[in-house]
Amino acid sequence: MTGRVRPLRSGGARSGDAIVIPLGGWSRVALVGASALGIVAFCWPFLIDTRSVGDTSIAPLVFGVLLLLVLGVGVAQMSEGGIDAKALALLGVLSAINAGLRPLGAGTAGIELVFFLLVLAGRVFGPGFGFLLGCTSLFASAIITGGVGPWLPYQMFGAAFVGLGAGLLPRCRGRREIVLLAAYGFAASYVYGLLLNLSFWPFVVDPGSTTAYVPGAANWFNLRRYLVFDSVTSLGWDTLRALTTAVAIALTGSAILAALRRAGRRAAFTAPVEFRPADDGASPPVGRDQLPSGYMRVPRSEVFSEK
Amino acid sequence: MTADPIAPPLRGSSSVASTERGTPPERTSSNRASTSHATTWLPRNLHPIAWWIWALGLVVAASRTTNPFLLLAIVAAAGLVVMRRRGTAPWAKAFRWYLLFGVIIVVIRVATRGLLGGGAMGGAHVWFTLPRVPLPRWAAGITLGGPVSGEAVVAAACDGLRLATIIVCIGAANALANPKRALRVLPGALEELGVAVVISITVAPQLVAGVQRVRRARRLRGGADRGFRVLRSITLPVLHDALERSLALAAAMDSRGYGRRSVTSPTTRRLTVALLLGGLAALCVGVFGLLGGGTAPAVTTPAILAGVTCCAAGLWTGSRRVRRTAYAPDPWDVPESLVVLAGVVCAAVFVVAGGSIHGMQFGVATLRWPTLPLVPLVAVALAATPAVTAPRPPVRRVRASDPRGRSGDVAPIGATA
Amino acid sequence: MIDFERVTVTYDGASVPTLCDASFSVPEGELCLVVGSTGSGKSTLLGAVNGLVPRFTGGVLAGRVTVAGRDTARFHPRDLADIVGVVAQDPLAGFVTDTVAEELAYCMEQLAVPPSAMRKRVEEIVDVLGLADLRDRALAELSGGQQQRVAIGSVLAAQPSVLVLDEPTSALDPTAAEDVLAAITRLVHDLGLTVLMAEHRLERVVHYADSMLVLDGTGSVTHGPVAAMLADSPVAPPVVELGRLAGWEPLPSSVRDARRRAPELRERLAGRPVPGRGGARRVAHRADRSTGHAALSARGIVVRYGDLVAVAGVDLSLDAGSITALMGRNGSGKSSLLWALQGSGPRDAGAVDVAGADPGLLDPRGARAHVALVPQTPSDLLYLDSVAEECAQADRESGVPAGRTAELLGRLAPGIAPTCHPRDLSEGQKLTLVLAIQIAPSPPVVLLDEPTRGLDYGAKRRLADVLDGLAAQGRSIMIATHDVEFVARVADRVVLVAEGAVVADGPCEDVVVSSPAFAPQVAKILRPDPYLTVDQVAASLEGIGEVR
Repeated sequence: MTGRVRPLRSGGARSGDAIVIPLGGWSRVALVGASALGIVAFCWPFLIDTRSVGDTSIAPLVFGVLLLLVLGVGVAQMSEGGIDAKALALLGVLSAINAGLRPLGAGTAGIELVFFLLVLAGRVFGPGFGFLLGCTSLFASAIITGGVGPWLPYQMFGAAFVGLGAGLLPRCRGRREIVLLAAYGFAASYVYGLLLNLSFWPFVVDPGSTTAYVPGAANWFNLRRYLVFDSVTSLGWDTLRALTTAVAIALTGSAILAALRRAGRRAAFTAPVEFRPADDGASPPVGRDQLPSGYMRVPRSEVFSEK
Repeated sequence: MTADPIAPPLRGSSSVASTERGTPPERTSSNRASTSHATTWLPRNLHPIAWWIWALGLVVAASRTTNPFLLLAIVAAAGLVVMRRRGTAPWAKAFRWYLLFGVIIVVIRVATRGLLGGGAMGGAHVWFTLPRVPLPRWAAGITLGGPVSGEAVVAAACDGLRLATIIVCIGAANALANPKRALRVLPGALEELGVAVVISITVAPQLVAGVQRVRRARRLRGGADRGFRVLRSITLPVLHDALERSLALAAAMDSRGYGRRSVTSPTTRRLTVALLLGGLAALCVGVFGLLGGGTAPAVTTPAILAGVTCCAAGLWTGSRRVRRTAYAPDPWDVPESLVVLAGVVCAAVFVVAGGSIHGMQFGVATLRWPTLPLVPLVAVALAATPAVTAPRPPVRRVRASDPRGRSGDVAPIGATA
Repeated sequence: MIDFERVTVTYDGASVPTLCDASFSVPEGELCLVVGSTGSGKSTLLGAVNGLVPRFTGGVLAGRVTVAGRDTARFHPRDLADIVGVVAQDPLAGFVTDTVAEELAYCMEQLAVPPSAMRKRVEEIVDVLGLADLRDRALAELSGGQQQRVAIGSVLAAQPSVLVLDEPTSALDPTAAEDVLAAITRLVHDLGLTVLMAEHRLERVVHYADSMLVLDGTGSVTHGPVAAMLADSPVAPPVVELGRLAGWEPLPSSVRDARRRAPELRERLAGRPVPGRGGARRVAHRADRSTGHAALSARGIVVRYGDLVAVAGVDLSLDAGSITALMGRNGSGKSSLLWALQGSGPRDAGAVDVAGADPGLLDPRGARAHVALVPQTPSDLLYLDSVAEECAQADRESGVPAGRTAELLGRLAPGIAPTCHPRDLSEGQKLTLVLAIQIAPSPPVVLLDEPTRGLDYGAKRRLADVLDGLAAQGRSIMIATHDVEFVARVADRVVLVAEGAVVADGPCEDVVVSSPAFAPQVAKILRPDPYLTVDQVAASLEGIGEVR
C-alpha cells in the first residue's frame, strides 16, 4: 500500500517545507520506469537499433504517443489517493502563472521564464508537486495558446523532470540555496533544450543534409552531426534561456522562495487538525481528522506533518 | 488504512443516492431523450474526440506518402474542414500558425539540404553552386555549400511537405476541437490533472490583467523603471495575489464538494497499481527491445502491445475512484461517427495502398512531374466530407442589446483567418 | 439548524482562542447577521459551520458544531456540500471554470447529480437569480454583482438548506452590492433557506435580518433578536446610532421606521444652528481651510481608450486644505480622471498645474512629489517582506530622511508592528501603509481611489480622522468613492461625474441632500433639515455647534 511507505523526503522537505504531494513507494517505481522510457524517447537516435524502426522521421511522433501514455501512468499513480484541494488549487494557479510567463518570454529574444518558477516551486513544495507542475504548466500553456502538437508530450515530460529534480536537490538555506537553484536552473534549461532538439532532430532536418541523422551510423558520428546541428540552430537560444533562468533565480529567488514558503505556511499543509470535546484537555480527542468518506487516504497527520 | 471505523449515517444515504442518481447508463439514456434526430444536425460542438480521431487518420495517411500532390490535397482537405467548421474561439484562430510552421519546416528542410548537403545526393540538374566554406577539423564530414541540384531541392521539399502536412493536420484538430471539452473526456484517473489545467485556463487571463495593473501602479511609487528590481516589484504582488487566490479557490472547492470519492475496495486499488506498473514494465521491456540489445523482435511488439493495454486498463480501473458527472456532456451521434469514419477510411486506404498503388511514393531520380493516383485522391476527398457532414459550431447566444457580446456574434462559417 | 455547543477555536501557534466558548442555535429559515469588527472572528465562526475551520485552516476546535444534525467533527466540508453552501468575499477568486453555466454546474458535478437533473436545476437557478441572459458568458467579463450572484447560484445548485455568506458584498460597488443583497433576501423568502451572513453594510440588510450574532472582539459571541442586539452592538448603521442618540425605543432598523419617529427629533432640533460636520475638532480646523489658493488646477482633461471616451474635457480645481469627493456610477470615468491628474495614467488632452508643474510631464518620481495617488488595490504597491522594509524603501524612493515614512505611519495608524508582513495587515492597515508611503515626499495633493472598499465602520472612522488631519496640514485631498456615509462624514465638496463629464459640483450639503441616490441615511431621515451625520445631530443637541 502506497500510504504505508514513508513519503519521499527531499532536501527542501527536511529543511522545513511542506511536502504537498507525497511520493509513495510505488510512485517512485513508476517515476523510475517513466524516466527510463523517457531517456529512450528523447535519445533514441543514439540508442535505437534502426532496423527495428521503419521510418525515422515519423519516430518522434510514435515516441510522443508513448510519452503521453507514460506521463498518464505517472500522474495517475501519483494522484491515486486523491490530491488535496489546496495542493490542486496551488498547482492550477502556479501553472497559470507559468503559462502566462511563457508567451511573455517567447517574444523577447530568448528570455524564457518557464523554468524559473518551476524550479522554485518544486524546491519549496517537493518533488511530486514539481513533477505535476511541470506537466500542467506546459499543458495549460499549449491549450491557452492553441499550441497542441507532437512536441507537447516531450515538453511536458522534460518540464516534469525539471520540477521533480528541483524538489530532490540537497538541503541548504540562504545564499547557498540560491546559488544551488540558479546553477540547477542553468543546467536544467540547457539539458532540456539539448534533449528537446535531439528528439526532433530527425524530424526537422532533411536526411540529405550533412547535419542530418544517419540511421544506423555509429553513435559518435551522429553525435558530432547533432552537435553541429544544435550549435548552428539553437545553441545561442538555449544559452540565453539558461542564462536568463539563472539570473532570474539569482536575483529574485530569495523573495519568491519566501513568498512561496509563506503561502505554504498559510495554507497550513502541516498544521495539525484536532476536534475535542468542550472540556479542555480533560478527555482524549474525539477524532483527529477523521475522513468520513471511507476512502483510503493517509491521515493528514501522517503525511503532512513533519517530525 | 481501512475505511473509517465510524461510518457516518450519511454514507448509507448517499450511496443510495448515488445508485439512483449518477450512474453512466442513465447518463446516456438521458442524452437520448434530449437529443432527438431533429437536433442531431443543428449547430453544436462536435465531440472533440471525433475531431482528433479524424485528424489522426489524416496524419497516418500523410505519413504514408511522399507524393506532393496527395499531400497538398490532404492539406486542402484539412483546411477546408477548418474553414467550414471552426468556431470563433481563440484556439480556432491558431490554425494559421500551424500553416506557417509547416512552411517553416519545408524551408528548413530545403535550406539544410541546399546549404549543408554538399551535393551529397548528386543529381543531374545542378541549378547553381554555392561557394564551399571550409570548416574546422572537429566538424569533419560536414560540408557547407557546394552544388545545389534540382533533385536534391525537390526531394527535400517533398519530404518537408510530408512533415508539414502532419503538423497542419494536428493543427486542424486543435482548431476544431474545443480543448476544454476535450479535457472532460480525460479518464477519471487523471481528473486532478484536468482540474489543475482548467483552473489555470480560468486564472491565466486574470493574472495577465493583474500584471498590467501592478505595472501601472508601479509608476505611482516612482521607483526605477528598469532592472531586476522592477521585475521583483511586479512579480511579487502578482505572485502574492495568485497564492492568496489559490487558497480562496481551494476553500471554495472544498466546500463545494471537490474530492468526494466513491468507496473503492483495496483490491481495486491494488489492481490499479499493479496494472499501471505492470504496463509500464512491459513497455520498458518492449522499448528496450528496440535498442538492438538482442531481445528478439518477437518479444518487442507483444510487450509493447501488452504494456499499452495494461496501462489503459490501469487508467480505467483507477477512474473508478472518481464519482462525478458531467454537465451537458457532448453526445456521440451520427455526425461524430461520420467524421471518424472519414478519417479512418482515408488512413486505411493510404496504409493498404501504400505499397501497392503506383505513385504513392514520389521518386526524384529524374526530375519529372509526379502522377496523381486516383484511389488515394478519392480517399482524401472522403476525408474532406466533415466540411459538410459535421454540424456547424454554435453561434454564441447574445442579445442584440448587449454591445459587449456583439463582436462574438459572427457567423462561424466563412470566418476568414 | 445550526448549533454551536461551547465552541472554542484556537489556531495553530496562537496563544489565545479566536472563538471562545460560543454557544448558540440558529433555527431553520432564519436570516442571521454576523456582526463584529475586522479580526473579531467572523470568518472563523462562518468557517466552522461547514468544518473548513479547523479542517482546512488547521487548529483545534473544542466543543461541537452540528448542522442539520451532522457533526463537523465527523464530516468533511465536501461531505457537507449538499447541506451547507458557502460563498466567499471575492467571487472571482472562487471560480473553478470560466463560463457561467459550467460554474453553476460545478458543485452538482462533484455531487454526481445526473446530467438531466443538472440541466433542470441550472435552469431553475438561472431564473431565480436573474442570470438567464448571462448563461453562456465568460465569468471574467461579468460585473462584480453578476459574478457574486453566479457564486451564490453555484452553491445553491446543490440544494443546500443553509447558506453561509462571508461579507459577500465587501469587494463590490453599491449597485452590485444592492443586486446581491436583493437576490439573497429573495432566496430567504422564496426558498426558506437558513442564512448566516457577515456583512459590514449593516444599513442595507439589518431590516431583513431575524437575528444577530455579535462578536465583541474578545472571542465571545452573543445571539439574539435584531432589535435587542442593536442596542449595544459595537458596530451599527447611522440609523441605529441616531435612534440611540434620540433615545428611541425600540430602535429603528430602517430609514422608513426612523422617518416615522423623526418629527419629534426635528422639533427638538428646530431653531438650533446646524453645526459643521466631524465634531468640534474638525470645526476648529475648518476656519483655516479653504484658503482659496488652488493646490491643483486642471483644464480640459480628456482620456480615451480607442473609441471610448472615459473622461470628456473635465475642468477642475482643488483648494488647498479641502476634501473633495468624486462620485459617480461605475465606469463614469472616476479612476481614469484620478490617474490622469496624477500623471501616471494616459491623458489625451488638457493640462494639469500643481505648484507650477504638470505632473504628467514629470518623471514618476517628480510626479509623486506633486500628487500622490493611492490606487484601488493598495497592495499592488507592496512587494517587500516587512512593514519596516517597505517604509525604508519608501524613504529611499522619495529622497526623505530615513525613518520619515515609519514615523508618518506611526502617526496615522499606531500599533502596526514593523516586522509584520504587509500582506498580513488588515485592509485598513494596508491602506494606511500605502497612504504613508505615498505621502512621504509631502505632496500637496493626495488622491485616493475607492479607499473605503472592504473597510468596516471602525476603519472608516479612523480613515476619516486621518484624512481630516492631512487636510488640516493644508493638503488638498480628493477621494473617488461610492460610500455616501463616508462622504457625508468627511467631504467639503462633492463633484459628481457621469459619462466622463462633471454634472454637479458644489458643497457637500447642496449636492448630496438633494440627490435620492447619494443622500446619507441621516439626511433621508431628517429631510428637509440639512443634517448629514449623527455627529452633527449630537453636537447640535449638546449645543456646541457653531454657526458656519
